[in-house]
Amino acid sequence: MKLFRRLIESRFWVLSVKEISQILRNKQLIFLLVFPPTIQLLIFGLALNPDVQHLKLGVTDYSNTPMSRELISALTANEVFEVKSVTLDEHALGEQVRRGQITAGLVIPPNFNRLLKSDQPAEVQVLIDAVDANTAGIANGYMSQIINQFGRQFMPNVVPPIQTQATILYNPGLVSSWFIVPGVIGLVLNLGSSLVSTAAVVREKDTGTLEQLLMTPAAAWEIILAKVVPLFVLLLGEVILALSVATFIFQVPFRGNIFLYLFFAGLYACVGIGIGFLLATVCRTQQQAILTSFFINLPLIQLSGAIAPVESMPKFFQIFSLANPLRHFVTISRGVLLKGNGLDVLYPEALALFAFAIVLLTISTNKFRTQLS
Amino acid sequence: MSQSATTYSQNPIHPSSFIPHPSNCVLHVHDLHKHYGRVAAVRGIDFTVQQGEIFGLIGPDGAGKTTTFHILGGVLEATAGEVQVLGQPARDARLKIGYLTQQFSLYLDLSLDENLRYVAGLREVDAQIFQERRRKYLQLMSLDWFSDRLAGQLSGGMKQKLALCCALVSQPELLLLDEPTTGVDPVSRREFWDVLAALAAEGVTVVVATPYLDEAERCDRVALMYDGQIQEIGTPAELKRNLGLHRLEVHTPDLASAERILTSAPSTHLIDTQTFGDRLDVLVSDPQAGEAQVKQLFAQHNLDLSALESAEPTLENVFVTRLRQQGSAPGFFEFPRARGGQRRATDQIAIYANKLDRRFGEFQAVKNVNIEIRYGEIFGLLGANGAGKTTTIKMLCGLLPASAGDISLGGERGNLRTSELRRRIGYMSQKFTLYDDLTILQNLEFYSGVYGVPRKLRREKIDWVIATCGLEGQENMLTGQLPGGWKQRVAFGSSVMHEPDILFLDEPTSGVDPLARRQFWRLINDFARNGTAILVTTHYLEEAEQCNRMSFMVAGETVLEGSPSQIKAAQPGQLLEVVVTASERHEPNPTQAASNVLKQQMEPWRVSIFADRLHVAINDPAEIDAVRSRLQAAHLTISSIRPIPYSLEDAFIGVVQRTQVKP
Repeated sequence: MKLFRRLIESRFWVLSVKEISQILRNKQLIFLLVFPPTIQLLIFGLALNPDVQHLKLGVTDYSNTPMSRELISALTANEVFEVKSVTLDEHALGEQVRRGQITAGLVIPPNFNRLLKSDQPAEVQVLIDAVDANTAGIANGYMSQIINQFGRQFMPNVVPPIQTQATILYNPGLVSSWFIVPGVIGLVLNLGSSLVSTAAVVREKDTGTLEQLLMTPAAAWEIILAKVVPLFVLLLGEVILALSVATFIFQVPFRGNIFLYLFFAGLYACVGIGIGFLLATVCRTQQQAILTSFFINLPLIQLSGAIAPVESMPKFFQIFSLANPLRHFVTISRGVLLKGNGLDVLYPEALALFAFAIVLLTISTNKFRTQLS
Repeated sequence: MSQSATTYSQNPIHPSSFIPHPSNCVLHVHDLHKHYGRVAAVRGIDFTVQQGEIFGLIGPDGAGKTTTFHILGGVLEATAGEVQVLGQPARDARLKIGYLTQQFSLYLDLSLDENLRYVAGLREVDAQIFQERRRKYLQLMSLDWFSDRLAGQLSGGMKQKLALCCALVSQPELLLLDEPTTGVDPVSRREFWDVLAALAAEGVTVVVATPYLDEAERCDRVALMYDGQIQEIGTPAELKRNLGLHRLEVHTPDLASAERILTSAPSTHLIDTQTFGDRLDVLVSDPQAGEAQVKQLFAQHNLDLSALESAEPTLENVFVTRLRQQGSAPGFFEFPRARGGQRRATDQIAIYANKLDRRFGEFQAVKNVNIEIRYGEIFGLLGANGAGKTTTIKMLCGLLPASAGDISLGGERGNLRTSELRRRIGYMSQKFTLYDDLTILQNLEFYSGVYGVPRKLRREKIDWVIATCGLEGQENMLTGQLPGGWKQRVAFGSSVMHEPDILFLDEPTSGVDPLARRQFWRLINDFARNGTAILVTTHYLEEAEQCNRMSFMVAGETVLEGSPSQIKAAQPGQLLEVVVTASERHEPNPTQAASNVLKQQMEPWRVSIFADRLHVAINDPAEIDAVRSRLQAAHLTISSIRPIPYSLEDAFIGVVQRTQVKP
């Protein structure tokens, strides 16, 4: 009770009350913390699908036998490929690839059936449009795999030296949104925390009240902390909203401890707020701050592994991304949600986030006083 | 705007008073109303403005002037009533209107030329015509040397002149100017009004609001607005005549006691007493009887009467008297002092600066400034826009590091940024010191809390601010909705609630109406009496008379320092007051005409218009004959010409201009 009274009497309390009143009056801010995250989650989760399906396939089947038709139906069976055109002219097929009408072309030679029947290796020609390198690679992989499997039935005696028995863990259905959504939660939290905190400081600078605030006896840390606390609560609300979208709409499993998750999210919110404050103290106007935040946030997101896995980046960027706090949070987010990891596994990431939060908030507090000159 | 006719017919009060405007009527306003929700900002105003007229709108803060301008400019829809600009609804006539608001409506990151070109492009001014006008107006405003400079680097007065230039590029027939000279220094203000007079002479019609009543004297006609209605309308002379009073100028060394005695004296002749600069204006119903009474009162209280002169009332007298008659004079409430008026020894120095320098890159904003202010002293820092006053204040209170020099604040030398020290300092910056998105009460609670006013005292202090500002019952209004002058009052209140030992006030009265300004200074004096050291800047030189000491800054340097009387005594040459009246040759504005005539032969700074008269600075008393003959040669009738002592404003104009003219 005594502690409570001291809190009520303190300058920190007065500063916080002011921040909260300003936030409550700012309908736009509340809107920004609710709608864009939801929409980002939906768009990234639904539209950003790395699976390759319904690739357009062109076929030139000179053989035109049940055997060749069987190969074609093997390719189209799991909907990876879809036959778009059938011609009897391989030049026309090449032309279709060139025009982008089909992604892959398959040429089956006239002697295809005969060669297979006589246990000789048959050759088919595959043309792949590799303008989209990623798709092309995957199409090539599927194509070789399916054709090899198809071929194996003609050599029942040959046993491959190694057989794989893969068990798919954590995401048995291989639902790609399970991978994307926990990462995008990090992305949303990052954008929300840095933008909102930048606005909170730059607005004071724009309207000139900052000067007045700096002349009051309030210490920089009090001013900063009073700005952090209400934002922190708001951002945790944003995280809970994002988690609800993840579990109810995308059915992402929640295998870990929700409080642990919120703890990490809070830690990352502090990092984001630190980034925002630092931006705000360096920039003179709102416009500058927003443009600079794009410059910082986009690389942070791209190097975080939220959308594309870190492992597929060049070695240099993989190491470089260790300096990206968002990368650590994305790892944590996936670990807690999908794998049910606890602190025993995630402590290196947690320590990294701690370090980031402390460094960023300390620098911005120190910069805060001197920013007018 | 097609419903303007229908709204008109809905009004049953004046069904037949609508007169189709004559051909030279530029603006016609009929029974104009504007409501914001349930609040009525404008409650039925009527007026017409003829071509080439300068029409002034004066009134206290929150009288509805800005709302009226918004409607005239076609920016805001009227709730009821009719506005016709050149025979069209205001919104349709926007291309013929030039509109200038209180805030500088310029792109600060564009150069002067780019700003002009942008406006011209927007208003589709032909390139060749634009070049002509650009040359003409830049020359008229004496801005032609600066065409490459960024607008953001111009001083306040130059910015307003540039904004006027921008408004003129499309050659509007009607100029709407909402307090264009707020925050502009006395020299630039006069230049600005000289330009307006020149424009009006060319047939441009001007409607202007101003809190400076000496400017309002230069209008052809003036409307006194109060509480959303026009109380009185007429030429300045008519308004003064209607007041039916005479003015006695009373000079005495002890203004404060004299004012107290004259105000409280039960008398039928003394109607009103107002401090104005270094004199008292006593308004009396009968000059002889009043004079006798003043003399008698002075003798009775053993007061020294240095001079007593009978004169015509000024527009400011009209304004103050009329509003006091309305009962709208802000009251004075004793500040609830927790420390019981603990006075500090006044020989201690509160603010000290020695050889202060500040450079921004190549530009030296402050050069070698020395300041010493004791507790209980009011120190005025005066200077033109861009002279370095605000930079100096920011250095003194530790917001900006000095490039060189020593500062001591409240006994602290090294670190000016400790929480302990800041608790003893009050600071009111030039603009927007309140949170617009908080209510008035929330703002006051915030500032009292953050300055550590004990919780049980907060209520009392907040009530004091609200009572002083006359805002009882409106505490929960958003601060952003307050008119500018009221915001200044609340800002002042919020900067003194913690009873500071040292108070920095950067243009506290900018844009505040004359009555509220008097209240401000009463409070400032009250704080000084209780031991607060006060550093204040202002562009109202007549209120600067209330400073104990002051210094004039020009281009970052202190050029003159001393008490008001020392500064006035230090002025060289002789000052003449010239009053001219229109002669048989009809001259609508003889004072302006006389100023133009004299400026052709003298250095322009020597001639300044003060309300309805001219002040002319001459080097040698013998030049008086030359002045007289020049005016007579121009067929102007001189009704009086006499040597007068320098006022602070004359001193300011002289000092600033002489220093700037120097190479």
